[in-house]
Amino acid sequence: MPYEQQQLIVNGIDTAVLTAGEGPPLVFFHGAGMITGFDALLPLADRFRLILPHHPGFGDSGDDPSIDRIEDYVLHYLDLFDQLELDEFSLAGHSLGGYLAAEFAIYQTARVRRLVLAAPVGLRVPEHPTVDFFSVADEQVPETLAADLSIFEGHVSMPPTPEFLAERYREATSFARIFWRRSYDVKLPKWLHRLTMPTKVIWGSADRLIPPAQAEIWAELLPNAEATTIPGAGHLLFDESRDAVDAVARFVAEEVTV
Amino acid sequence: MSVIDQLKLYFFHHHHYIDEPPDEASISSTWVVPPGRLFDPEKGHQLYRRHLRQIKLAEELGFDGVCINEHHNTVYSMTPAVSVMAGAIVASTSRVKVMVAGVPVNLTYPNRLAEEYGMLDVMSGGRMEYAIPLGTGMEYWSNEGSINPTTARGRFRESLDVLLKAWTEEGPTRYEGDFYTYRYLNPWPKPYQKPHPKIFIVGSGSKETVDLAVDYGLGYSIVFVPIPSQLRAFDRMRELAAERGRTVDPDDIIICVIAYVADTDEEAVREARPHIEKFFSWFHRVPPKYLLPPGYVSTEEFLRRASDAALSDGTRATWEDMVAIGRIACGSPDTVADTLAHWAEEAGCGRINVVLEHGDMPEWKTVKNMTLFANEVIPRLRAKGTQATVVDEEALVPAGVS
Repeated sequence: MPYEQQQLIVNGIDTAVLTAGEGPPLVFFHGAGMITGFDALLPLADRFRLILPHHPGFGDSGDDPSIDRIEDYVLHYLDLFDQLELDEFSLAGHSLGGYLAAEFAIYQTARVRRLVLAAPVGLRVPEHPTVDFFSVADEQVPETLAADLSIFEGHVSMPPTPEFLAERYREATSFARIFWRRSYDVKLPKWLHRLTMPTKVIWGSADRLIPPAQAEIWAELLPNAEATTIPGAGHLLFDESRDAVDAVARFVAEEVTV
Repeated sequence: MSVIDQLKLYFFHHHHYIDEPPDEASISSTWVVPPGRLFDPEKGHQLYRRHLRQIKLAEELGFDGVCINEHHNTVYSMTPAVSVMAGAIVASTSRVKVMVAGVPVNLTYPNRLAEEYGMLDVMSGGRMEYAIPLGTGMEYWSNEGSINPTTARGRFRESLDVLLKAWTEEGPTRYEGDFYTYRYLNPWPKPYQKPHPKIFIVGSGSKETVDLAVDYGLGYSIVFVPIPSQLRAFDRMRELAAERGRTVDPDDIIICVIAYVADTDEEAVREARPHIEKFFSWFHRVPPKYLLPPGYVSTEEFLRRASDAALSDGTRATWEDMVAIGRIACGSPDTVADTLAHWAEEAGCGRINVVLEHGDMPEWKTVKNMTLFANEVIPRLRAKGTQATVVDEEALVPAGVS
């Protein structure tokens, strides 16, 4: 079952929204790299109404240079969810999207039933620092993002086309609007106590971008969280491991079965 | 009247750190990330003395001005704090104009820049000129993270606005912008020249920088990009100005040339070529990643550059390519004078920044080149003017000083 895609104008921003499946709503906030697409997440649509918007400045959504703080993303999604008439839902996010999901839930605690943070960026952990993605040499990007390089097959030609490089430059630009200075928010630990909903922190054990050791730090700071590690998976854990996708499905579904 | 009649010639100095290591092939970039071990402070001390000697020589030889610039984290430049070098130059010279080209104003606080530049102008008795760059992409990798390349152009425009407001309005004033806020904008000292020293925008010919220069009525100083791009930028500048009922004074346009003079064309190329090639292969060694940090250009502009092999691979150009597309004038005094006169007339520029020290060139060649340029090329250029009735001695008196 493929995604259906619609374009919505959200406060002036042409916003792509992918949806698939029926059931309780599950919103997914994607990360900053969209090379491999989102087909790996489609099994979630077997049990949920999966809603996957493209962030402003990414994929099929339009650019808006004024979206330059994480709070602007939160407000953008409040506008979008009003249009979609989404009140309560479960929320998952990966990498940039994981940080955004946590931030959204800090402000909108009552709307988020269950929260999944997959290899989220956003914490400063001096003992296990997040690799500065901007500093990674071009030729080392694939092995930094994934342990299983076969996931890029069919998505990247060698050498990469100018169009492929330009799309990556656009993603880097949109990411840099918020994260050029640094990949962490020093105040994030202060407010994570607000995330009282059941929360799963999930990480690939071979993540070379954001060390999996950060999972324990998140789990300690979150009031109601459990951490799961996916053996052998890198940063793009959902592309690399069906188990990671299934673990999200099981966790989000618990509210339905309990 | 020809642009040659009022042509001003500035000695442009890069202030390279000249000490190529034996393992240079293993060093991927001389910008942003050159190994710190490459810097030898004793060598650096000798080079600062040598560079200042050449600046003083330029004044004695009769150049109209000298021009220095700023870059960070790079063997390309020993003047990351260009105002400090300008202070030394001001104290070491008495006549020559000093163009600082310059601090990327959005990398500092614009009020602080107004103070530094105001100080220099008062200290020099009004000999300063300023050319203001956006800063190369590399500067954004080398500076504090809050200087975000995605806002570079917005900050550039606004910081320039602050600088001009500080110099043209009676202080104290307020400023409430997107990026900068001042309760009491009132930098002291005020510039010696009124309303302020001559200002140029430094650019590579992009629409944004040309527009900015015309919007503010400033000059335009173009960097080393292919000649057709330069000519397009000047045409655009004149068209934009004409739309607003103004004309562009040739004195508002600067081209930058690489020149080497010897007795014959063959001797000039033989003496200069290895050093000019080193200028590109070593001092310009920078991966595309550092040239274009995220958001420094639009995605469309990135695609244009990524699709153009000549743009994406410029540092590997051959000597013939460089001579064909760039302003490289190597030859006898007649050859160099003819070439520069042609370029000046074609561009409609009243100023030329002449680079006479190239790459790892030894000091004797630089001094010989400077001397031949001043003694043999400048008089030939002056003689090409339509009003060239002056004798040689007067030809050496810089424009604007009489």
